[in-house]
Amino acid sequence: MVTPPTSAGLRTKPGRADGRTAAALASAALFAWTLTAHAAGLPGGEPKLLPPEQAFRFSARALDASTLEARFDVAEGYYLYRDKLAFSVEPGDLVAAKPALPEGKRKHDEFFGDVETYRGLVVVRVPLAHAAPGATVTLKADSQGCADAGVCYPPIVQQVKLPVPTGSAPGPLVQAPRKKGFFE
Amino acid sequence: MDQMVSERPLTSSARRWAWRGLIIAVGVVALAIGVHVGRDGWTWGADGKAAQALMAVELPDAAGKLQRLEQWRGRVLVVNFWATWCVPCREEMPEFIRAQSAQGPKGLQFVGIAVDSADKVQRFADELGVNYPTLIGGMGAIELSRNLGNDLMALPFTIIVDRKGRVVHTQLGRLKEDKLQAIVRPLLGEPGAPG
Repeated sequence: MVTPPTSAGLRTKPGRADGRTAAALASAALFAWTLTAHAAGLPGGEPKLLPPEQAFRFSARALDASTLEARFDVAEGYYLYRDKLAFSVEPGDLVAAKPALPEGKRKHDEFFGDVETYRGLVVVRVPLAHAAPGATVTLKADSQGCADAGVCYPPIVQQVKLPVPTGSAPGPLVQAPRKKGFFE
Repeated sequence: MDQMVSERPLTSSARRWAWRGLIIAVGVVALAIGVHVGRDGWTWGADGKAAQALMAVELPDAAGKLQRLEQWRGRVLVVNFWATWCVPCREEMPEFIRAQSAQGPKGLQFVGIAVDSADKVQRFADELGVNYPTLIGGMGAIELSRNLGNDLMALPFTIIVDRKGRVVHTQLGRLKEDKLQAIVRPLLGEPGAPG
C-alpha cells in the first residue's frame, strides 16, 4: 500500500487523534510565543512601555484641613519634569499658596537650558485655605515626563477626590485611576 | 468489487490528508497572525484606513499656511510626530535632516507634525536647520497619531508611507538611521516611480 509521506511532526505520535492534538497544541504554543515575545519586548519588537498614568502614578491625601499631600510614584526607567508639575484644587478658592516643589536632578537641555527631573517618589505639600472639615476637595495634578527607553508623553492631568479630615488624623491615601491598559 | 475494496482506503486516506492539511493550515495562519500582531500590532487590517486618514491630514505650517499630506503622494513619505519638549524627538531630527538632503532628490520626503505651538516650533526649526516641512498639530496631533496606531500617545512616533500611499512601517520611539535606511532604500528604488 502506498502511504504518502507525512511531515515529521505528525508522524512522531501514534494515532491520528494524538497527532492532531499535538499539531493543534504546537500551533497554539507558537501563537502564544510570538505574542509573548512582543509583550516582553524581545529583539525585533518595540520596548514595552507603560501608559503615562501607570508610569507616573498619582495619589494624594489630606494631612489636615489646611494641607494636602500629593505623591507621584515614578516607575523605574521613567522621569518627570519639575517645571511641568502643577497643582490645582477645586473649589478654586481653597488654594492658599503655590506649593513648594522639591529639588530635582539638574540636567542641561540645549533648547530649554537647565531643567530638573524627578525619579522615584515625589512628595509635594499643597497648602489649603478655608477647607471645611468633612468636605470633599478635588486635587488636580498636571505632569509631563519621559521614559529612558526614548519616548516622551504629552502633559497629562490626573485627579483625586479627597475628604478633608475632621479630626487630627490624616485622611486616606487616594490613588488616581490608572485608566487604560497597554492593549486597550 | 475490486473498485469497492480499493475505494475505502482511498477515501480514508483522502480524509486523513484533508485533516492534516487543515491542521497545517491552521498552524500557518496562527503563526502568521502571531508574527504580524507581534510585529506591528495595530496595522492588522487597518493599513488602508490608516493611510487614507494620514494622507487626508491638513494642518498649518509654521507660517500658518494649510498643508495637506496628499500633496506628497508619489514620494516616499516619512511622517514624524514630535515636540520641542521631547528630547528623544530632537535627538533623531539631525539624522532626518541629513537624509532629507541626501535622498530628497531621489523621492524621500520628511514631514514633521509638531505636538506643539507654532512659535516654539519655528524657533527650534530655525536653530536646528530643519529642511523639511513642519506642520503645527498642537495637542490635537497626539489624538491624530493615536488614530494612526500610536496607542500609548507617546513621542516620537514615525510613519513611513510608500509611493503608493501605503503605510509600510510605524515606529514608536527613536527611528535609528540604519533602520530608516533599511526601510526607505528599497522603497526609493522602486521602478517607474516619479522624482
